Amino acid sequence: MSEPRPIRSGGCLCGAVRFTARPGPHMDVCHCGMCRRWSGGAFMGVPVTELVIEDESPLGAYASSDYGERAFCRNCGSSLFWRMRDGSAAVASLQAFDDLSGIVFAEEIFIDDKPALYSFAEDTAKLTGAEFMARMSGQEQAGG
Amino acid sequence: MAAGERISGRCLCGEATFEAVLEDGAMHACHCDSCRRWTGGVYLYLPVEPASLSVSGGGARFFQSSAFAERGFCAQCGSTLAFRHLDGRSADVSAQAVEDCGRFPFASEVFVDEQPANYVFAGARARLTGAQSQGLIGAAPTAEAAHV
Repeated sequence: MSEPRPIRSGGCLCGAVRFTARPGPHMDVCHCGMCRRWSGGAFMGVPVTELVIEDESPLGAYASSDYGERAFCRNCGSSLFWRMRDGSAAVASLQAFDDLSGIVFAEEIFIDDKPALYSFAEDTAKLTGAEFMARMSGQEQAGG
Repeated sequence: MAAGERISGRCLCGEATFEAVLEDGAMHACHCDSCRRWTGGVYLYLPVEPASLSVSGGGARFFQSSAFAERGFCAQCGSTLAFRHLDGRSADVSAQAVEDCGRFPFASEVFVDEQPANYVFAGARARLTGAQSQGLIGAAPTAEAAHV
């Protein structure tokens, strides 16, 4: 096991939503149709723990499945978090962190939903939606 | 799938939609700090004729992100929709909001001087700094819109 990574700060484009969280070591890109539409590009997510949001009042949440929701800034529209509605897991936008350094692009999920529009150059592990959901069943984190 | 084509798009929840006429029929990526924070990734956009862009629906909102520009999104689900300059010199929409977006060619990447080390797109195409892409506005209107 590596040393726990330090807590980092982050926020949305307009600054109305500020947070701190302990990021994991890896970032993944989700190519599912929901993440693509929501982000307007390729959502880069970092699993986090100890997520603390300074002021939740500007935060909007959209329940995109019966277990997951997408949280964003209602003032500027920044896509910020995917999280379990029961609070058991959260993924933060890599790009929302003030310091992005050292977080490695390790995995692309829902690769079978990726359009031909773009590809990434990194040598990442690539999982289909079915493979990802199978791996996550029994674990606490899943897309949706 | 070409310049002059009228396209439509929608947000994740369906409470906001847009229509516009494509300008160059191609997709571009913006790596600027603002677009990355706003999208949660990289903004993949289609330049459109500014006067042709209409954003509608109960969820549609615009956030003025600088003295020059505003960003359209859905306030119900947070989806990215569009970017436009207030003076009408350029506008673009999220490629991912358009059905069958895989048909667009990936023509350029802009603000590469603000791209972090975390990711790189595969393939070769025009790669412009922020200064270079802003210089194009006016000279080659809106093909590579500067997202400031």
